[in-house]
Amino acid sequence: MTSRQQGRRAVVTGLGVVAPNGVGADAFWKATRQGVSVLDRISREGCTGLPLRIAGQVRDFEPQSAIDNRFLVQTDRFTHYAMAAADLAVADAGFRPDPEDPFAVGVVTAAGSGGGEFGQRELQQLWGQGPRFVGPYQSIAWFYAASTGQISIRGGYKGPCGVVASDEAGGLDALAHAARAIERGTDAVVAGAAEAPLAPYSMVCQLGYPELSLAERAEEAYLPFTAKARGFAPAEGGAMLLLEDEQAARRRGAAVRAHLAGHGATFTGASRWAESREGLAAAIRIALDRARIAPEEIDVVFADALGVPEADRAEALALADALGPAAERVPVTAPKTGTGRAYCGAPLLDVTAAVLAMEDGVLPPTPNVTEVCHDLALVTDRARPAELRTALVLSRGLMGSNSALVLRRGERS
Amino acid sequence: MSNTLSYPELAALLQSRAGVTVDPGDLERPGAEFDAFGVDSLGLLGVVGELENRHGLKVTSGAESAKTPAEFMELVNSSLAAKAGA
Repeated sequence: MTSRQQGRRAVVTGLGVVAPNGVGADAFWKATRQGVSVLDRISREGCTGLPLRIAGQVRDFEPQSAIDNRFLVQTDRFTHYAMAAADLAVADAGFRPDPEDPFAVGVVTAAGSGGGEFGQRELQQLWGQGPRFVGPYQSIAWFYAASTGQISIRGGYKGPCGVVASDEAGGLDALAHAARAIERGTDAVVAGAAEAPLAPYSMVCQLGYPELSLAERAEEAYLPFTAKARGFAPAEGGAMLLLEDEQAARRRGAAVRAHLAGHGATFTGASRWAESREGLAAAIRIALDRARIAPEEIDVVFADALGVPEADRAEALALADALGPAAERVPVTAPKTGTGRAYCGAPLLDVTAAVLAMEDGVLPPTPNVTEVCHDLALVTDRARPAELRTALVLSRGLMGSNSALVLRRGERS
Repeated sequence: MSNTLSYPELAALLQSRAGVTVDPGDLERPGAEFDAFGVDSLGLLGVVGELENRHGLKVTSGAESAKTPAEFMELVNSSLAAKAGA
């Protein structure tokens, strides 16, 4: 294996979003900055009779116009989102891959559950009619790796490809994995995560999570860091980014939107939220150390904000442990309270929001959350202007992973 | 349905089983290859499965690896003819 090459650094040059509050980075950022909450009753066919009522559903996405018809037949909704987001990211970056050098571009995604909707349909064929009625695309469509594979095949991206299955925090780990590929010599990686957990089978699986919010009303469903916290509302969608080697990006005249400055990941066990304090604090310290920045240089924290009292307390304490006195004044935000948590897609939406927040000089708010019961400077109510040079994005998974990513502002703003 | 597969029927099956829209006339053109239409072997396998379910027969194995529509039609139609004659 090639080790890190001198001077190679991963930067963000393109953003592609398919989110409950908007498709495309512009629509997503407008809604995020305004603090619009799109949490609502799940309306998808087959999903309405379950105890899980409130989620962030992607409603403004027409797969027929976003991707080729054959991928609608051959792939699951989670891959539709990822393919569309990848196209948006590549277009946003103004990137044209060199057809002479297909190995210069890789693909890395993270996935939490794969293609549950497609899989359910084919399993119903199996039990309803027999094995001869199961379509052959079942063999690839349900699989965690489907999105990476389809993006790679369709784009002709033959560089290092991979799938990170490390829980929700895997969204951040996928970016770190892609950054390492860039440091080792790959010029560009399409990286990110998108999920589609709002399908009957997938929803039933989630009912086993004690952290899931079964609230009936959207405005009460997901209220992290408050005394009314009762779990999280799930969401679908996510974001793909184009990451490039900084010098390669500059050679082609692309704007550097942000630097992936440092990442840390730890594991503390499924639903052991008190222990996540130590794990998250360690991940933050590792990320800061790799980014070579001091705690007081962090200008904004995008919190994991699970919405489970014990987990919220652990996160607030982890920030205090890792950032010291700086934790008392650093603005913390959790825009995902307006969209829900899209599993691996959630930290990708936070990274995208962090890049846009730094460019715009705006701290986006935490929708629906008003009275905070932890020692945190949470941005509530409305967006406010701020000089943002460095952002810290946090993510934890229900199965025990904790990750932290430090982003530094690029030059576009 | 008659006991032979026609190009329009193949085009309809490619649409429903592989999601690929292709004009029957283009399938019929000499030298036409599945690759050029974006039809892969999984797509053809789905078409074979559908035909087998519809007609209650086994299509000659290898049809799903056919490179051209002409080759595929020949394999499928010989299976259909064999069944009709049986």
